[in-house]
Amino acid sequence: MAVSVTDLDLRGVSEGIGTRELSSVEATEAYLRRIEAHDGVLRAYLTVTGDMALAQAKEADVEIGRGRRRGPLHGVPIALKDLIAVAGVKMTSGSRVLADHVPARDAFITRRLKDAGAVLLGKLAMHEWAFGRPVTEGPFPTGRNPWDVRRAPAGSSSGSAVAAAAGLCAGALGSDTGGSIRGPAAMTGLVGHKPTYGLVSRSGVLALSWSLDHVGPMTRGVWDSAVMLQAIAGADPDDTSTRGAPTQDYVQHLEDGARGLRLGLLKRYYVDGPGLNEEVRGAALTAFDVLCREGATIEDVDAPSLDLAMAVWAPIMSEAYEYHAETLRRTPEKFGEGVRTRLLLSALFTAQDVQRAQRLRARIGREVDALLSRVDALIFPGQAAPALRFEDFPTTGFAAAPIRYTAPWNLLGLPAAVVPCGFSREGLPVSIQIVGRRFDDATVLRLARAYERVTDWHRRRPDPARWRL
Amino acid sequence: MKTPDKRRAQFEAECRTAGLALGARDDELLYAMWLDWLPERDRLRAAVPAPEDEPWR
Repeated sequence: MAVSVTDLDLRGVSEGIGTRELSSVEATEAYLRRIEAHDGVLRAYLTVTGDMALAQAKEADVEIGRGRRRGPLHGVPIALKDLIAVAGVKMTSGSRVLADHVPARDAFITRRLKDAGAVLLGKLAMHEWAFGRPVTEGPFPTGRNPWDVRRAPAGSSSGSAVAAAAGLCAGALGSDTGGSIRGPAAMTGLVGHKPTYGLVSRSGVLALSWSLDHVGPMTRGVWDSAVMLQAIAGADPDDTSTRGAPTQDYVQHLEDGARGLRLGLLKRYYVDGPGLNEEVRGAALTAFDVLCREGATIEDVDAPSLDLAMAVWAPIMSEAYEYHAETLRRTPEKFGEGVRTRLLLSALFTAQDVQRAQRLRARIGREVDALLSRVDALIFPGQAAPALRFEDFPTTGFAAAPIRYTAPWNLLGLPAAVVPCGFSREGLPVSIQIVGRRFDDATVLRLARAYERVTDWHRRRPDPARWRL
Repeated sequence: MKTPDKRRAQFEAECRTAGLALGARDDELLYAMWLDWLPERDRLRAAVPAPEDEPWR
């Protein structure tokens, strides 16, 4: 192929394999070479499963050569956040507690991806237990932003973002409890989709906070996320939250455009709210104008109780304390001080705090459901500001201010995606966010694609010549 | 408005109630985080749920 494989989006790789212009082995070798060349700086991977990937790629090529392509992911090299189990491959969650842990069984979604014929390149760096802070040293570095390696890609799915944005895989899975897919996707110019809660199984995925955790794709394009979601969505008997999950065809309506869609702009809370970077604001408002030109109608909407969202999110995160409390008591030294302190704060929440948070969560949900009965989707800027330098990350806060852009949608379990909408003057990606009705992930992706197809932000690539320290 | 001493005493009391025994570094970090969290906690405790505000309704 004339274009470098690693510059393609997942769709390009998939179509190359589908037309036999590219073999799965060629694609896999190209990614492994790129990992070898650049991951010493970028640190996207904690484990590279090169031999396993090449074996899977060879099998895929044989099967495809016999005219039996299973679907768009068959033969496509992808990678997984290191809290998703792959049988026989170390899974650390970026923690010393699990430094030598090797799961015996695949996660449900890993099995789904294998069934779809995807090739697994390895396990991706992440913030410790999906709750720590970005680090550049130690046994579990969290990865560097390929748009500026002095900056963090945000987290916690940091390695997933770095790998997908830098062309170290064709697509990645991350997890999102307060913004851990959407934050890093926004900071690295990717599409990041947090599916509806209950659409994607969490069995075999290490928990952070079970009522807030979601697993979803992080990719260069919307189509890419749609086909990854298609592969992993659906009911799993081992995760009762997915019981009866109504899946959709996430690709079929991607090209239907924005015409006729009614959108609600959460202007008071997000656009006029505190802490929004002016460049992000400008790029997002321009993007919303594009959606209007594409035939969507936009009205300002508000859910007043969103003002309580961060006060509600924090006590519900005490689920993480319950998960870790015994290990934290026995071996506190195995936790980084950032994550240890955040977990300990939960010990200071009262039962009444937690139950009040649950009641107010219900109130916010009612208000937002009422909005979504009038509009097809909600829109707002995807992040507070572009990527921060490592040294600028706050060290004391429990819930950093930027996650008000993402965490409310974990509370409500609604589908939410970020889409790149421009770059700051310093060349850092910025994005918009789209939130849809429960289990209507297809409309979120359709709207994301409606914007993507008339803009070219998603085609830009970070320059490997700048990946030096 | 509580004085810094009263805030500190309140923090220590809450840690005792929770059964936390902290080393110096964790104490320093957790106190800073707790102070950071207090405005949100005040907002949470001041918000009065309506009868229909039930999680499973």
